[in-house]
Amino acid sequence: MGEKVIGIDLGTSTTAVAIVENDIAKVLPNEKGEKIHPSVVSFLEDGNRIVGTEAKKRLILDPENTVYSAKRLIGRKFFSSEVKKAQAIASYKIVEGDNQDVRIEIRRHQYTLSEISAFILMEMKRIAEKYLSQEVKKAVVTVPAYFNDGQRQATKDAGTIAGLSVLRIINEPTAAALAYGFGKGLQQKVAVYDLGGGTFDISILEIGDDIFEVISTAGDTYLGGDDFDDRFIDYLAELFFKEHSIDLRTDKVALQKMKDAAEHGKWDLSENLETEVYIPGIAQTVGGALDLRVKITRNYFAKLVYDLIQKTFKVCDEAVQNAGLTVDQIDSVILVGGPTKMSIIKEAVESYFFKSPQAGINPEEVVALGAAIQGNALIESSSSSLLLDVTPMSLGIATAGGLMDKLISRNTPIPTEMSRIYTTTRDNQESVNVRIYQGENRRYEENEPLGEVRLSGIKPARKGAPKIKVTFEINADGIVEVGAEDAETKIAQHTTLNISGGLSREQIEELKSKYGSGTAPDVTPE
Amino acid sequence: MAIDERKKIEINSIARLIDELDYYQILKVPQNASFEEIKGAYFRESRNYHPDKYYNEPPELSKKVTLIFKRITEAYKILSDQETRVIYNDGINSPNRAKNLRYIHGVQGGPPKEDEGQTPMGKKYFQLGKMAINNRDYKGAKINFQLAAKMEPNNETFKKRIVEVEEIIKGKK
Repeated sequence: MGEKVIGIDLGTSTTAVAIVENDIAKVLPNEKGEKIHPSVVSFLEDGNRIVGTEAKKRLILDPENTVYSAKRLIGRKFFSSEVKKAQAIASYKIVEGDNQDVRIEIRRHQYTLSEISAFILMEMKRIAEKYLSQEVKKAVVTVPAYFNDGQRQATKDAGTIAGLSVLRIINEPTAAALAYGFGKGLQQKVAVYDLGGGTFDISILEIGDDIFEVISTAGDTYLGGDDFDDRFIDYLAELFFKEHSIDLRTDKVALQKMKDAAEHGKWDLSENLETEVYIPGIAQTVGGALDLRVKITRNYFAKLVYDLIQKTFKVCDEAVQNAGLTVDQIDSVILVGGPTKMSIIKEAVESYFFKSPQAGINPEEVVALGAAIQGNALIESSSSSLLLDVTPMSLGIATAGGLMDKLISRNTPIPTEMSRIYTTTRDNQESVNVRIYQGENRRYEENEPLGEVRLSGIKPARKGAPKIKVTFEINADGIVEVGAEDAETKIAQHTTLNISGGLSREQIEELKSKYGSGTAPDVTPE
Repeated sequence: MAIDERKKIEINSIARLIDELDYYQILKVPQNASFEEIKGAYFRESRNYHPDKYYNEPPELSKKVTLIFKRITEAYKILSDQETRVIYNDGINSPNRAKNLRYIHGVQGGPPKEDEGQTPMGKKYFQLGKMAINNRDYKGAKINFQLAAKMEPNNETFKKRIVEVEEIIKGKK
């Protein structure tokens, strides 16, 4: 049997793995027949880890040692608002690591977010190997289109730690479009509305002659299905507080029970116009145990989350406008992500685009399928489909005046590069520092810092005489690379790119061998 | 499926020559090509040189293909935006052609900055006109540039822009 590439949709809430077999992409089940695996890792007392459905059950049994929604934290700075928010509500311990990175502390051991994601990827690798009865070494992993450089890099690192050679990082909506249009010979403009557990993306693509061209993409990495659950939880907690003056949100087990109830309630409201939440004995008082019993209608829930849905359409407006289109010019709408199964979202999307979304696509599987198709296209060079993706954010450098000097604008096709000439401002200056940012704000401080490039070892000369050409490249994974050379002699200039945070190459290799050598056992639940 | 010898020779020679080609030569279209022709050329050349098609080739070949493809996307990006295309055309048709084969953003010695208006209304209409061009609404662009020119009758940029969009509108018919 030939070499196989797996496609992995590493989601905030759930993860899936797929392959292409006999020209057909399919999602692989585990031993229990499950295809969609909760992105949850639970650390057992004996040092073993479990991932997926069994781990999710432990959210209530052992909340301190069970990690969920880690994707919300990957590649982020410890001081970012997202991390602060997660810290307030997470049942596990979030601490600060080196370079303002985020670490998760479990049983007095600190894990990087790349490691946590790696544990999930290892499980996907294991499922695929079991299914195929052969070793799997290569993968295509998807990320939200609006992930920045740091988040992409950390995801790629996770793959490496898991013992996978990540052939490509591709954008989730792009993968979905590929799965939708592959081999169909379509000629149309497609909008992919991708609401995941923790992120929202919209991409507009033009499909023609098996070329999948992303025209524009926009997103919000702070908005997802989890926020819908949170609204539900807040509603439950507030009603309970009004009645009993007890804040259930401060009790981690009660919070987890409400989270489960909110999830079920949300789905129930897709089928029914009303649902009842009933959690017996959610709080203990001197007077005995208290139950939580609340009725909620679909209309009321829609009211609770109205602004969240409207927020997604603001992002849609931006993407449609940047594509130079109006909504009526879009031929098909594809829904991606578990939360889009909610009827209130389906209806809202339908009224925004004036057309019903494509039926027959499983929003939880389509991304993994697309990743597998792309993986297959890379190793089979005879494949007819071609992806032309773009960078979701502008790349620029800080200027003395506080403004960002934009070098590569968003929605530029990737891979791409742009060069700029730098010089010195003092006589005999030996080094120049260049700070790189990603984002759309005119002021660089409002954007995401990527890191700093230091051009050093410049030959002594009068100020303004050295001419150093710095090339900023965004590769096919959407990851930034920087190179520099003397503009006249073309001799490579020494640079150090200090990506703010993240793991070094040595650290990644160290972790890879640590988990690959089998010293840290993985157990499969019965 | 391995890449045949002829393709390899072609890739090697384009990669060697790439810094001497202008964007039109890279996309293999004439300087007066329409937007649709440029887009078609971008797709055609992407099929030929997208790095994904050479994923299993030795690194020295795939590096060259990546170099070519990056230049193809750069050409497409600059030529599909009317604003940057006009500036680029001026550069490659000037005596300084060799230095202007690649569009370089705002570096000393780059193209002179346009007079984007001195009065608030002139500035506003000029920006609206530029936005209309980006949305390929050339009639709207013309109206806005004309309004801008009404506010500042002596602004040379405004006059030049009106002539340019008129040409595009004519060319489209």
